[in-house]
Amino acid sequence: MRLPKFEYHAPTTLKGALRILEQEGPGVQVLAGGTDLVVKMTLGRLKPKAVVDVKGIDGLDQVRFDPNEGLTIGATARIEQVASHTEVQRLYPALTAAAGVMANVQVRNMGTIVGNLCNAAPSAENAPPLMALGADVKLVSLKGERTLPLDDFFRGPGLTAIEPGEIMTAIHVPPPLSGSGNAYQRISARCGVDIAAVCVGVAAVFDGSVCSKVRIVMGAVAPVPMHATEAEKLLLGQKWTADLLEEAGRKAMEEARPISDVRATATYRKQMVNVLTVRALQEVYERAQTV
Amino acid sequence: MKQFNIIGTDVPRTDGEAKARGTALYTDDMKLPGMLHGRILRSPVAHARIVHIDTSRAALLPGVKCIVTGEDTPKIKYGNWRLFPETQDELPLAVDKVRFIGDEVAAVAAVDKDTAEEALALIQVEYEELPAVFDVDAAMQSGAPIIHDYCPTNVSVNRKIKYGDVEKGLAESDYVREDTFTVHSVSHAYLEPCSAMAQVDLDGRITIWTSTQAPYIVQCLLASTLDMRENDIRVIKPYVGGGFGGKMELRTWEFCAAFMAKKTGRPVKFTLSREEEFLAGRRRHGMKIRSKVGFKKDGTLVAKDLSIQLDGGAFNAMGPTATFLCGNFGAMLYRYPHYRFHGEHVYTNKPPASAMRGFGAPQSLYASEIQMNLAAEELGIDPIDIRLKNAQVTGDEIPDVAVVSSCGLVESIEAVAKMSNWKEKRKSLKPGRGIGIGCYSFISGGVFNWFNTQYPFSAAEIRAFSDGTVHLLTMASDIGQGSDTVLKQILAEELGIRMEDIRMTSADTAMTPQADLGTWGSRVTLMAGNAVIDAAKKIKEQLFGAVSARFNLNVVHDLECKDGRVQSKAKASYGLSFGEAVAMVQKANRGEALVARGSYTPRGKGLVTPAFGFGAQVAEVEVDRKTGLVEVKQMWTAHDCGTVINPRSVEGQLAGSIQMGLGYALSEQFVMEDGKTLNTNFLDYKMPTANDMPPSEVVHIDTYEPEGPMGAKECGEGLASPTAPAISDAVYHATGYRCRDLPITPEKILEGMKKGK
Amino acid sequence: MKRHITLTVNGDEYSIAVDPWQTLNEVLREDLNLTGTKLGCGTGDCGACTVMVDGRTVSSCLTLAVSVDGKSVTTVEGLAPSGEELHPIQSAFIETGAIQCGFCTAGMEMSAHHLLQRNPSPTEKEIRAGLSGNLCRCTGYNQIVEAVALAADRMRAAESKEEKS
Repeated sequence: MRLPKFEYHAPTTLKGALRILEQEGPGVQVLAGGTDLVVKMTLGRLKPKAVVDVKGIDGLDQVRFDPNEGLTIGATARIEQVASHTEVQRLYPALTAAAGVMANVQVRNMGTIVGNLCNAAPSAENAPPLMALGADVKLVSLKGERTLPLDDFFRGPGLTAIEPGEIMTAIHVPPPLSGSGNAYQRISARCGVDIAAVCVGVAAVFDGSVCSKVRIVMGAVAPVPMHATEAEKLLLGQKWTADLLEEAGRKAMEEARPISDVRATATYRKQMVNVLTVRALQEVYERAQTV
Repeated sequence: MKQFNIIGTDVPRTDGEAKARGTALYTDDMKLPGMLHGRILRSPVAHARIVHIDTSRAALLPGVKCIVTGEDTPKIKYGNWRLFPETQDELPLAVDKVRFIGDEVAAVAAVDKDTAEEALALIQVEYEELPAVFDVDAAMQSGAPIIHDYCPTNVSVNRKIKYGDVEKGLAESDYVREDTFTVHSVSHAYLEPCSAMAQVDLDGRITIWTSTQAPYIVQCLLASTLDMRENDIRVIKPYVGGGFGGKMELRTWEFCAAFMAKKTGRPVKFTLSREEEFLAGRRRHGMKIRSKVGFKKDGTLVAKDLSIQLDGGAFNAMGPTATFLCGNFGAMLYRYPHYRFHGEHVYTNKPPASAMRGFGAPQSLYASEIQMNLAAEELGIDPIDIRLKNAQVTGDEIPDVAVVSSCGLVESIEAVAKMSNWKEKRKSLKPGRGIGIGCYSFISGGVFNWFNTQYPFSAAEIRAFSDGTVHLLTMASDIGQGSDTVLKQILAEELGIRMEDIRMTSADTAMTPQADLGTWGSRVTLMAGNAVIDAAKKIKEQLFGAVSARFNLNVVHDLECKDGRVQSKAKASYGLSFGEAVAMVQKANRGEALVARGSYTPRGKGLVTPAFGFGAQVAEVEVDRKTGLVEVKQMWTAHDCGTVINPRSVEGQLAGSIQMGLGYALSEQFVMEDGKTLNTNFLDYKMPTANDMPPSEVVHIDTYEPEGPMGAKECGEGLASPTAPAISDAVYHATGYRCRDLPITPEKILEGMKKGK
Repeated sequence: MKRHITLTVNGDEYSIAVDPWQTLNEVLREDLNLTGTKLGCGTGDCGACTVMVDGRTVSSCLTLAVSVDGKSVTTVEGLAPSGEELHPIQSAFIETGAIQCGFCTAGMEMSAHHLLQRNPSPTEKEIRAGLSGNLCRCTGYNQIVEAVALAADRMRAAESKEEKS
């Protein structure tokens, strides 16, 4: 329970940070909120030789909404900043629901949404809603920058598409279409200080009661957050009925491939995917009607 | 009801300001010049022979000042049950063998924490793994791995209780049922991780500041394990961040801090990490409970045949007491004309279980209370009514235990039924909504002297001064429950002075009178309270004598200490201020200070407890029938703790019990795989938060316990029992799922509902 | 290699050298002897180590000391406006019985402070949510919730009195 010894860098520019990443090579870790990184180091699971603290870099801490551009969340924007953002609350309730309840107050005050994604825990709470909302992420290195759909970002527990020398500088979420809704559902044994045992994020667009676009993403049911592809297919172009939702829930449950661990058994997780998917789908439809 | 001035009022706790400001010092807050930092190396395997330990590389690390293994120590076994030395099975550091994952193997003291941590990684231990056993059934089978050579059956304690004729009673019953329950192990989860700091003085004597509930036990056992004299050890209990039974034994780091301080001549401090606390810390016993009960048609209890196997983990710890008490609790609460109990304490290759709030009662009473409801249902009697029919009352005798000298159980059951609108709500069958009941009875301290103390169970010394102040000295340990405040209240009431006129020294074994067995078994208010009153009465006698002489009072005059004065009851002008009276006594004794000692040891109260607390609780829950998640909507409690000395404190104890009971019922558990605890942090050890706590209403039943100080008895520990059965019963009412194996997880509820259909 | 940092704690400026791997908790407790802030878990789950950095509650056990260079930290020792008078949150904690063993108290008070700064009239639900990152094993939280509500009332009353005068 002691932090390992490491070099500490606190660059004030993005370029400076990227240079350090390049110089240090493998074994360097990017630090933002520290709520995952410092825990891993405390428990001896990670022993970086150097840490690059990006909190001092100007301009990365923004949460910005533009009706045409959508939502941009900077690399050092704190979870609480996103959860309490009024436009986010109004237009991306799925994200508010995830960011507003995850972990605890102190972690939300310190941690960042970008960090939550980069940590790539299978249970990362912000991943399902952001993936459902069609977010993409901006990765920058000295060689240049690239944009990647969040769908393609996760590669395994703790593994992402980030290449050595790269930093995720922002998440971008497209503006919600008219007639659309989004929702997030989670299960945990406790209200506070907690992590979801299973979670589901859904976003959908409706033409009347017919679903013209739908994305269902499940968390903590596979090594990475995953789409319930079959359930999405089932719903697409269909009239939204209770029976259809039940069927979609069952499909999602069949697609989920969870493990048993300290937080829940695989069987329970599968059952809950069904329940949460149906609940999120109901919520999405209700929201779409009121927007 | 007696009239009091300070007793029964919401006096804020006297250490409140220090704690609110952050100035109260806990053990880890202290440091001494030249102090070394200690760390413990723990076994990564559940059962193994230690082939070889190589500390040479660690010793070479600059800054490492001392490394010890079991071989370096005097190898003297210890355990709290000194009366039965064969139960003392523990060594401070493992010798020859490790018996659970987390077992202590070596200790390092270094100039700073980083160095100590680094040194741990450099110690090489070669283990020869042995077959291990992780549950009681497997451990009790013939041919099971033997955990302690002295105990080839792995059953270290057998306890039998018997009265009446159980066979006859069951034969005469109209209705007999047998059920098996399993209850799980949970963590004390006190917020302050254990910490100890020891210093050796120039004469070689040791002072140790330690996070303990039982300084006297630590003093005695530390002396014996170090092969020193008791008086050469001084144990000081600073502020302690909770204990709940988990800090009432001598522990490895206490031994190592003292032993290594002696070896190095420098102060040494050990503070555990939360990970260590969860991985290897003491815990509540998991138990397997088989209970057969017989009733008459009208719900009258006739007989009970109870057998319990306790999963003790690798050492006895406080397991022998838990084995005794779960049998006693099996026959408390209701009248059992015929009773038989067989308890077995079983070794397994897991962290030792020990005392934890309720000390066998939460487990035993979970089974009793659920079984009561099962029987009530089959007999067609309301759960409230069947309890009222069998409830103990004042004057009942529990054979071979004691006469219940005060009991407010019936009143408690009636009160919660009324508060909760039981009859209406229990009839309603709204799916997902349910109401349930649980009751408890608990001891106010223990009588059986397993520690084999040669001193009174509790003692107090009072020094009175002519400036009107007094100094109270007692070894009683406030670990957060508020005993310092309560004892001051009792003393202020008895001497008629203000609480702010009392200076207090507590829980320092070199300064406070011998002895006090510690904070456990809900013993402190009753025992230390009685000791304080005993000492105060002696002071009063002297003061009364002085006032009587000063005013030349007729010998029949009644005198009193009241409002800062010592005076005639009939005529207050025949009196002096408290300080003046003290001065007179002092003059009469030619300068000798006015000092008195008092003590309390239970007499004529059998071998279990001098007094019993009682109560009943109703829980209302809402169950999400799709997810199986339970939300506790409301708790109602009515309880009998005798005179309520400090209502806010009592209510705080109650709410704390509910939090613990809630976790026990629904969310807390050790997730273990092959003897390894997997959830070693608060993220995955799911203790309820402020968000999870239900609103709670409470009624104190007005009783007076003749054996208690000013009528008071146990509060706060018994209440750890009713919450889980009440919630469980409410979940049954809401879903039809009856839980016989705690905890009540969402998955079990969903599964149970499916089967119910 | 040690790094020099300057930080303000409870209004006092400190210039110290720290190892990059030292947490703020360790520096407060060991180097500055501000032991009112506790360490309950070391992994940011219990809240006993809660302090404020630039006006926001953080877990000091997860905060690297080097990263607070130039920042302002408030600990429980800095909560009372003067050495003598207690902060309304502190006195409410004492009066309502919100303190038992006291080990969670400093963190609880800091979380309560953070909450009341942002929301001077919280509902009971909001209080519970605001404290949900702070574990307590003694009190069952209810008297703590009561304390925060009482402190909020008193702070609002004091505020409106100030405005009037």
